[in-house]
Parts: sequence; structure tokens; C-alpha cells
Amino acid sequence: MNKDLFTWYTQSDTLADLIIGLRLAESSGAKSLLLLTCNQNIYPEEELSSLLTHCSLPIFGGIYPMITYQETLLKHGALIIGFNQAYNVTLFANLDLCKTEEHFESVINSQLSATQDFAQNDSFLMFYDGLMTNIEDFIDSFFECLDHGISIVGGGAGYIDFIQRPCLFTNQGLTSNAVLLVTLPSKLTAQVAHGWKTFQGPFLASEVEEQTILSINYQPAFELYSQTIENESQYRFAEESFFDIAKHFPLGIEDINNNLTVRELLVTENGALQCAGKVPINSMVYLLESNVNNLIEAIETAAIELYSTPISTPTEENEQISMVFDCIGRMLYMGDDFGKELEAINKHRNSPALFGVLSIGEIANSQSGAIQLLNKSTVISTW
Amino acid sequence: MNKALFIISLQHELAMSIGNKLDLKAMLKVFLKVCFSRLNLTSGHIFINCDDNNLPSKLTSLEQTNYLHLLSIPQKNQGQAWSENNELSSFVESLSNAQQNISQQCENGRYFFGFIIPDHGLLIFETYYVLELEVQKALIPIFQKLGTSCYTSIIHDSLVKEVLSRQLVEEKVAFQAQHDGLTGLFNRQYMNSLLAEAIEEAHTNNKFGSIVFIDLNRFKPVNDAMGHSVGDQILLILANRLQSLKSEHIDVARFGGDEFVLLIKDLEHDYQQTVNNIINQINVLLDIPFVVKNNSYKLNCSIGYVFFPLQSSTVNNLIKFADIAMYEAKRAKSRFGKQYTPSMSDKIKRRLAYVDDMKQGLENGDFKLFYQPQYNHSGNIIGAEALLRWHHPVHGVESPAVYIPIAEESDLILNIGQWVLEQACRDIYTLEQLSLPATFKKVAINVSAKQLIQHDFQDKVMQAIKLNNIAAEHLAVELTENLLVENIEDSIKLIASLKANAIDCSIDDFGTGYSSLTYLKRIPASVLKIDRSFVANIEQSNESAAIASMIISLGKTLHMSVLAEGVETSAEFNCLKMLGCYQYQGYYFQKPIPFDEFVQLLSNLNSG
Repeated sequence: MNKDLFTWYTQSDTLADLIIGLRLAESSGAKSLLLLTCNQNIYPEEELSSLLTHCSLPIFGGIYPMITYQETLLKHGALIIGFNQAYNVTLFANLDLCKTEEHFESVINSQLSATQDFAQNDSFLMFYDGLMTNIEDFIDSFFECLDHGISIVGGGAGYIDFIQRPCLFTNQGLTSNAVLLVTLPSKLTAQVAHGWKTFQGPFLASEVEEQTILSINYQPAFELYSQTIENESQYRFAEESFFDIAKHFPLGIEDINNNLTVRELLVTENGALQCAGKVPINSMVYLLESNVNNLIEAIETAAIELYSTPISTPTEENEQISMVFDCIGRMLYMGDDFGKELEAINKHRNSPALFGVLSIGEIANSQSGAIQLLNKSTVISTW
Repeated sequence: MNKALFIISLQHELAMSIGNKLDLKAMLKVFLKVCFSRLNLTSGHIFINCDDNNLPSKLTSLEQTNYLHLLSIPQKNQGQAWSENNELSSFVESLSNAQQNISQQCENGRYFFGFIIPDHGLLIFETYYVLELEVQKALIPIFQKLGTSCYTSIIHDSLVKEVLSRQLVEEKVAFQAQHDGLTGLFNRQYMNSLLAEAIEEAHTNNKFGSIVFIDLNRFKPVNDAMGHSVGDQILLILANRLQSLKSEHIDVARFGGDEFVLLIKDLEHDYQQTVNNIINQINVLLDIPFVVKNNSYKLNCSIGYVFFPLQSSTVNNLIKFADIAMYEAKRAKSRFGKQYTPSMSDKIKRRLAYVDDMKQGLENGDFKLFYQPQYNHSGNIIGAEALLRWHHPVHGVESPAVYIPIAEESDLILNIGQWVLEQACRDIYTLEQLSLPATFKKVAINVSAKQLIQHDFQDKVMQAIKLNNIAAEHLAVELTENLLVENIEDSIKLIASLKANAIDCSIDDFGTGYSSLTYLKRIPASVLKIDRSFVANIEQSNESAAIASMIISLGKTLHMSVLAEGVETSAEFNCLKMLGCYQYQGYYFQKPIPFDEFVQLLSNLNSG
């Protein structure tokens, strides 16, 4: 534990141990708390919710597939960070009820105007329900409503079995279908990397419905996808499960500046491919491939880039903090080698506090400034 | 190869995003969002040419461009609206002047790329990179298509507006056809059609219904005295209160003026009780004072009702019957409403026939003026009151107590009043030709409420005087105290004006009208006439004597003469004289007599 930031973690999956940590955090002199827990913990939902509502400090965070502390991967347990400043938290709840852009805009604008003056702040963390289906619509509207030139990072909370349950923490308890927006007290900087390269393509995403690609190059999507992989590799879809093969070959959407946005393929159904994020209709897509070394190398390059150019100087009052949103898909791909990715980040860190989550989707600004939903990527941030 | 494919896919995606919505702004927003994500924009902006009313319109001449900011993604720039961004505004101006695609590097190192949406607007992309020329060129045909789609949307928008405004007008016309302009309640015509349906339904469902006719009492004086704006406000308040009774089974309408009608449907066998309850509710609604412009008005109403299909099954009859019943309630001053009975119609028929008889009588000269002399305490005639007598060809001599109220209900009272005025003036002229006793001053005629509120009443009086070439001071008018109180402001003005023309005014039936001293002081009348009810047996009644005494001292205070009416005995005369009343009229002195006899009486006195 450093003098300015309360940090506590446990690998225990019981609520009793979490309570001990929370009591310590509450008496630590911290002004607000970030609580991250693993989805495999044995936390009774009602008791956890009651713990949150009875917390004496502002609290925020969520349940993630896994969490990280420096180079340790926690598959069970919890992490508490106590900030020495009161972070402002805005909750956008019941977002499943928003069906139109106008509805999103009205919810966002009314919430923003009611809570604080956002014109004064430009750095945010976003914790959201990673299994809500309209997160990208929210992000689009949020960017449109908020401002030009904001900095934001975030990651989707939830359970690795992809069954939606309440997974976000606030002082109101546990919630789902929601977004938590945390205003940071100092400037946020971030680096994004994935390490995936083009393997086959380009192809035209000729028929798309939201996150489902129905056809590629005017052929049924799965048919083209599976034929291309089987022609160019040893993988056979008849012999392995779809996800076991697909995790090696995500899709990449190429933009005008040749940047690739990765889209993880989750399942196939009726000849279509279900992605963990939207694919624009008529966009150019590639099949991507990589290996552990490339993935880690890309992340290490990003870490060096980020940590070698600190934006703000740590002061007596504000310790430099670093948070990582790493896609759970990367861990599933790398398996035991995933620890090397954490080591690669940790060895370059310049801040005593480095922690993070393995998330279901990541959020970061693109080069243009817009907010993007990413898959199979790593977002390293400091503030 | 990949670049070419990228450009083709970009063109395809942008082209496919055009025209997905019909509304102009929504259509352009969909397009701009696709541009934003596919071209990695930092911000995107659309300015649209507008007409003089700032509505989007097709550009007709390049000299008359009026590009207004329509939308931006994101909506703001560091807390500020993009329309207030100087760098963007000056770029838009340059683009508008150039009328061709231009670009510039901004102060923050980013770039603005400006494009023309042919005939319609300007599109500005802010990027962090240089948009390649081949991409820019590839966008030109897309913007051409966008221009066409803008035109379609503008036409659509104007059609939508036109359809909407037509719809609004149609709704307004339909509303006006069914509703009263002042109160928004149903109007007479619509209520009639609702009633027709209700009668039909009552027959089909074996139910009952009722028409309840409501008329405000004494609303006209308020309207006349306080002005129509106050009157309208009162009607509006009442309409809102009555509207609170509206339900699935009750409709409310304004029939005109201060008349309102309730249509009550689906009544069961307890219909009488239900209607009684509703009448109670109406009275409760009226118990609350009407507050308009800081003044409080207390009003009540008369209510008549009729049941269908029990009493009639035709719209006209039901409305007429309820109206008749309302008049009966008004006459009876009943607060509880009156149900229509056929005898009410018979009464009305008889009244109408009676009015016809009066008209006929007036034409045939069956009306005569009788004169009842007025005396002073020395027995000298000081004047006379002209009294109307009607000799009905069948019934003989009719009592004024019967025919005057009936004449007052119709406008016939105006014809009768005019005849009285003219005949009295003719008679005064005859009298003026005689050598009258020195004490004889004037002949007084009675004026009705309807005459009084006629705006040209005084003109008519002056005209009659002039036409008959008589001295104005020989004519006087008598107004009852009740009439004065009801029309106080108008009466004061009229009396003052008549007095200025030498015509005196007496206050008739004094002591019965509850006039306040405040008003009385302002009325420039000359004579107070003690009502006959206080004169009868005055010598035996301390109360009557006290009232007479009070009136006498009031007259002294206000510098008015006091005349006692209906003096029939010497005891009454002596008592009045003792109390200080020195002017009299009554059978003790002389009964009303035909004009010839009156002339004879005056001549005899003179010669005697």
C-alpha cells in the first residue's frame, strides 16, 4: 500500500473477506473507492448489493471475468483501490429501454445536465454492462452529446458464460443494462494495441444486421469464412468447435487510414457470424491472425509508448495511476502465456499503482477522437 | 487493388446511407454518421441553404446563398456550439464563396475539408489526416446523390407541413362546427345531433334520458353594468364548472347567451332521483362566487328539464319543453328546477294569445289613459299620474297587474310604453290649452325596465315633447324603486339627463326596493312616492307609520318631495299629514278617471 493510494486485493472468493477489505478501505482515509471483483466469486447477490448500499464512501466498479494487479492475474477474489479524491460517478441506468437515438440523447443530456458541468472535464473512465446489446448506440450518442476532444477508456463488465446478470457497482447496489461514467481528476492518456495482422482478404461485408454478418462477398458469411480458413490452414470446423477455431481468426475492419478494428467472432448460426461488436454494412473486412509473441510485442510497444511520455507529473496529492482493460478473448487465446502480457506491461510502468480487468469489450478513443468499441485489444491508461 | 476496393466499398456504403429517412435533418444525420465512422472524422458539419423564413430550400441563384448550420457530430466543441466556432464559420464562408471543394489546415494541426452538396448545402469534415485526392474525387458523385435526396426531403417536409396544417385546419373547422366559440362546450347544433342519437339509443336500450335547461338569473344586468368581457369570463367559469359534470352519460352544451343544456343519457327507472341529484350539483357549482378582475359575483340559475322518450321523442320538442320548464322555474323563482308539464305549454299558448289580443287592442285603440290627480294638503291638484287602462273586447276591463307583466315578457311593452308617452304628451298639450290651476304642475307616466335600458329612450321622450309642442316641465316619469336598483348606473345617468331637460322623476313604490342610502343620495329624483302598502291603515300600524316617517325625513334630507300613494280614508290622510307628508294620491281624493273627466275636473276647479 502506498501513502497516497489505498490498494487492497484478495484471491479469496468469499464475501466475508471482501467485507474485511471494504472496512479497511472505509477507514483508510480514501475519498472514493473502486471495487473490482471476479465473476467466479461466491458472492450472494443480495448481500453484495446491501454491502454496496451501506458503504460509507462513494463506490464504483464491477464484476469482471478476471482482474489484474501489476503482473498478477486474479481469477477469484477482489481488488479495492481507494482514491484520495472523491471521484464523480454518473449512472446511466435502464438503457435497455432506449430504442432510438433520440431516446439515448435525451437520457444522456438530462443525466449530464443534472449531475455536473462536463464542459470542465475531459477525462473519463467508463464501466458498462458488457452484455447489453446497445452499448455502441450509447457510445455513439454519448460522443455526440458530450463533446469534441474528450479522453475516455473503459471496459465491459459481466460474466464469461455470457449470461447477463447485474454486474456494475454503485452506492445504489448492483445493476445491469447500465453505464457508469467516472470523471477523472487529472488528464487521461491511453494507448491501444492488439497485435493482430491481416491473414486473408479484403472482403466486403455485404449483408449485416447490427452485430451479425449475414453475408460476405454476397456469400453466406460462415460458408466463406470457414472455406477460407480450411483452404489456408489445418483447422477443420467439422472437427473442432467454432469458437476454438474462430478465436485464432477474428475479423478486422479496415478504416481509411489502414487501421484495423478487431471483431471477435462468438458463434455461428444459420450460416451467419455473430460478432462481439457492430460491423458496418459494406465495410471492408479481413480475416486476421496472430501468435502469442506478436500479441505481446504489440502490447509492450504500446506500454513503452505510454509510460515513456507521462502527461502529468505525480505530486504529493496525486499519485500516477495506471489501469488496463484487457480483452478476455486475448486471455482465452493465449492461455497460460497471458501472464507474459501482464509482465510486459508491468515492467515498463512508471506508476506504483497498476491494476486492471479482463473485460468483455474495451472502450477507447480512436486516433480521430471518436469513441470506439474494441475487441481482442488492450487499452493501457494512466491519469 | 485494395485501395480501389476500399474506395468502391466506401462509395457503396455512403450511397446506401443516403435517403434512409424522409425528414431532411434525420436523413443527413444518418449520412454524416456513416461519413464520420468510415472516414475517421474528428468532427463533421452540415450547413443547408435556407429561404427568407430560414427553412431549408433549394438554391435558385448562387448570389443568394443563405447557408445555416443544420447539424454537427459531435454536437459541441469544448462546451461551445459549433455555430459559434470562428474557425469553422470562416471556413464555411470561404467554401460558400468558392462554391467548390476546398481544404485548409487548422490551428490545432487538424484539417477542414469542405464539399458542396449541389443546390443545397455545404459539408465540412474535420480530420487529423490529409484526405487523399482520389477519395475526395470519389465522394463527388455521392454528394450529387445527396443533393437530390435533400430536394426529395425538402419536398417531403413541405408536404408533411402542408398535410399537417390542412389536418389542423380541418380539425379546427370540425371543432368549430361542434363547439361554442367562447366556452369550448358543444354548441346547439351538435347538441341537437347528440340528442337525436340519444333518443334513438334510449328506444333501442329501453333506457331514459333527460334534457336539463339552465339559464342564469339576472346575468344581463351584470353583463350590461360590468361589460361583456366580465360577462364572458363569468360564462367561461360557469362552462368549466358545468364541464366537471361531463361523463360518459352526460354531455354539456352552451345554447347561446347564458343558456346551457345538459344531455343525460342511460338513465334507469330512478331517473327522477338522478336528475334531482344533478340539479343539486349544479346549484352547488353556482354557490361558489364568480371572481372576475378582483370582483366577486354571486349568481344563481333557473332550471327546467324534460325526460325522453317519456315526454317526447323529437329533438325540437324536448329542447322547447325544457326551455318552457326553465321559464316556469324562473317565474316561480325555484332553485330546484321544474319538470316540464303539458299545462306549461297551454299556459304559454294562452299567454301568446293574450299578447296577440294586446297588439290588436293597441291597433284598435282599446287602450286608454286614465288620470289620477295628485293633491296637496290644502286639497289643490298639483298634478296627475297617467294610468293605462285596457278594455278587452271579450273580458272587459283588464287589470294592469295581469297584462303589464305579460307585456313586459315580450317586446310589446315597448310599443305600449311609446303609446303611453305619445298619448300623455297629446293630453298635456290639450291641458296646456286650458287655463290650469296655478298649483297644477305635471303629468307623470310610468316607465318599464325595457324602456329604460333602450339607449334612445331619452331621445324618444324629447321627440314626443317636441312633436306635441308641450313644455317639458309638464311631463314627469315614474320609475319603481326595484327598477332603479337593478339598473342603478343607467338610471342615475338617465334621470340626471332628463332633469337637465326639465323633466322630473319620481321614485315609485318607495320602501319596497331595498335601495341603499349611498345610491339614493346619487339619484337626482324629485319625488319619493310612499308605497301604498305602508299607507293602508297607517293610523293603526305603528310599523307603517314608522316607515312612512322615515321616508318623509329621508325626503327632507335629500331635498325630495314625498307623496303618499293609495290614500283611501280620511284617517290615513290625517295620519300622513300629521307625520309631515303633504302630497297625496288615492281614492280618498279621486279615483283614476278618463281624460275627458279629468279635464272637466280641472275646469270645474278653475271656474269654482
